[in-house]
Amino acid sequence: MNKTLLLSALVSVSFAAAQKTVTLPWSGAITGPTSDAGASYGAGVEDYCKYANAQKMLPGITLNCVTRDDQYNNANTQRNYEDFVGNLNAPVFLGYATGGALQLKSVIQETKIPTLTASYHIGIVDAPDNTYTFLPVSSYSENIVALLEYVAKKERGAKVALIVNPSPFGRDPVVDARKAAERLGLKITDVQEVGGNNLDNTALLKRLESQGAKYIINQNTAGPVANILKDAKRLGLLGKMQFMGAHYTGGEDLTKLAGDAAKDFIWATSYYLYDEGNQPGIQLVKKIGAQYKRGADTIRSVHYTSGMMAAAIAIEAMKRAGANPDAAGVYRGLISMNGSKAFNPGFAVGPVTFSAKDHIGAESLRLLQADATGNFKAITGAQRSAMFQLVHPMK
Amino acid sequence: MPASRFTQTGNYRTRYRQDQTIFATYSEQLSLIVLLALLLLLPLILPKTLLRDVNMIMIYAVAVIGLNITTGYTGLINIGQAAFMGVGAYATALAATRLNLPFFLAIPIGGLAGALVGTFVGLPSLRLKYLYLAVATLAFQIIFEWGVGHTPLLAQGGAISLPQVQVFGVKATFFNHNFVWYYLILPVLVVMALLWRNVLRTKHGRSLIAVRDNDRAAAAMGINPGTAKITAFMIGSFYAGIAGGLFAYFQKAVVIEDYGLHISIQLLAMAIVGGLGSLPGSFLGPLFIVALDRVVGNTSNWIGSQNLFPAGVDAATALRPLSFGLAIVLFLMFEPRGLANWWRLGRLYFKKWPYKF
Repeated sequence: MNKTLLLSALVSVSFAAAQKTVTLPWSGAITGPTSDAGASYGAGVEDYCKYANAQKMLPGITLNCVTRDDQYNNANTQRNYEDFVGNLNAPVFLGYATGGALQLKSVIQETKIPTLTASYHIGIVDAPDNTYTFLPVSSYSENIVALLEYVAKKERGAKVALIVNPSPFGRDPVVDARKAAERLGLKITDVQEVGGNNLDNTALLKRLESQGAKYIINQNTAGPVANILKDAKRLGLLGKMQFMGAHYTGGEDLTKLAGDAAKDFIWATSYYLYDEGNQPGIQLVKKIGAQYKRGADTIRSVHYTSGMMAAAIAIEAMKRAGANPDAAGVYRGLISMNGSKAFNPGFAVGPVTFSAKDHIGAESLRLLQADATGNFKAITGAQRSAMFQLVHPMK
Repeated sequence: MPASRFTQTGNYRTRYRQDQTIFATYSEQLSLIVLLALLLLLPLILPKTLLRDVNMIMIYAVAVIGLNITTGYTGLINIGQAAFMGVGAYATALAATRLNLPFFLAIPIGGLAGALVGTFVGLPSLRLKYLYLAVATLAFQIIFEWGVGHTPLLAQGGAISLPQVQVFGVKATFFNHNFVWYYLILPVLVVMALLWRNVLRTKHGRSLIAVRDNDRAAAAMGINPGTAKITAFMIGSFYAGIAGGLFAYFQKAVVIEDYGLHISIQLLAMAIVGGLGSLPGSFLGPLFIVALDRVVGNTSNWIGSQNLFPAGVDAATALRPLSFGLAIVLFLMFEPRGLANWWRLGRLYFKKWPYKF
């Protein structure tokens, strides 16, 4: 009996010793500006990471799931990065904000830590210093160009106005949008910057109306867009103007804030939505959300799904790295995701494909339109923007 | 003067020349030398993450000395100090990346750019005072952010990466970054502080204080208030420009978000909490605010994780601005002279201990 006990104790001890701990870190805005999206995104990362541990997705490895608030402050993001990479030896970094991601590019290049961010700013994967930076899904620029393609198909020569956030996040797609509009025969009548303090948009909307802009494309967050939609409804412009937007403009956040003014809004995103319960990825989102007792708002948010997607990609890359997932192994794991080895966790409308040159994961996207009940329904299938590849060839 | 300048407990000065000395006693001199020696050893003791905070505090201290020059010593309200920092940061980044200048030349260029722009922005101070001047500097802050955001040369407010620096054969890498930069920022801070302490002893420094206390009386005494005000803006924004250059290198890239209005407000909070018109306050203010930020950050993390509030009520996010606002209001109400006054009282206590006369 004693021998059996001793043996089982030895087995347990040796099993524990064999069990390696690897840190999966995320730094983002749990509080502060954009925390409405960041808190759900962080919850998605954390829950998927815990789920991976529970499912023993990585044999012999226990993930140390760390989500840390950077308050949307670049200095805090760097502080977290230093801690994750310098002290916790994290082989991968999951980031959040555009500014923080851009600022970290040279450091990421130096430390060779593969990085995925919640910002889909194309500059993050543009040269230089882009070897180790990856976007989980298609960029904002591609979202906008896809919307322009939709407009061009509907009405050649149409007048389009862009409303963008006054930040690197907002301004980035403007250059590509201008190039694409020119090739598509569309006329960009105006580019206006609108931040989160837009309490009255009457002047803005009247100006766009006087220019004859029929399609208004937003590169912003849901809050400012909701205010614009409500003002457009008040001014009776909703039927006359078609409002559209890139990833962070739409989803549950928009319909919650804008109410029925969000009706007919066209949204470009690569993710499946909560209501698409037939999708395996969404079934998993619901299961994990319930398992870790998240609130209904969090589980319904597309940002919860996005966080899970980022964590799933990082964990899959670790899996492909083998028993010792260091940064080099994770990088190899990421760039092996193509062809028959593409990774499809089911959260996005297409598989995640990376290579040494291709640093954009799920490149496919769909256009969805809000119905009267505030739900977004797909109006296109999963597609890539043909024009984007012409106006912004990746190096 | 008493026989020993070690045991002096009161003001024994009988000549203006004595009044202009930097140190009243040898013990003050000695304590500064000990403090500097301790500061040189600090990186060997502190954990890496705390060292980053210390570096941030030192950079902010340079900017707050500058803000104190305009607002604390000369009485010109300035809500655009972060924009002056930004001017310095972008000028430094351009000097380092376009002109390929080494950091020890690029950072002073940032300071000069800050001074140049500061002189221009200071022009309204010839006609405007108090709130009106505050709004003029606020306007500059907004113009700066808009201007950078629309200038392709400045990456439209996106990131301009700074090259790695090398000092005495040691390259600043990811792993020694905070360590190397500590030893680069500390001497800059010490030199800038001593420089300002010396300027204060000159007629130019004293004229700034005279203008703050009463510009008409100062004019009657032969001081040109306009020159004094412009000089204050020039020197204050030079300090901000140097701080911006240091921050740009320390953050490894310049991004517009680091020089927004909220940072200007934060710098003003540091100056108020530290003590307006006080050199020790320029160090204590940043120390207090950065420490408060860390404590509040951790507390709001904890609150956020407890699910204490219903969905949609983001109490954790509200805690930070609330605590900053509260700190400023409480200091203004109960200790308008800031932490520098506590420092003064502490020094006074030890000077007289044990009840020497």
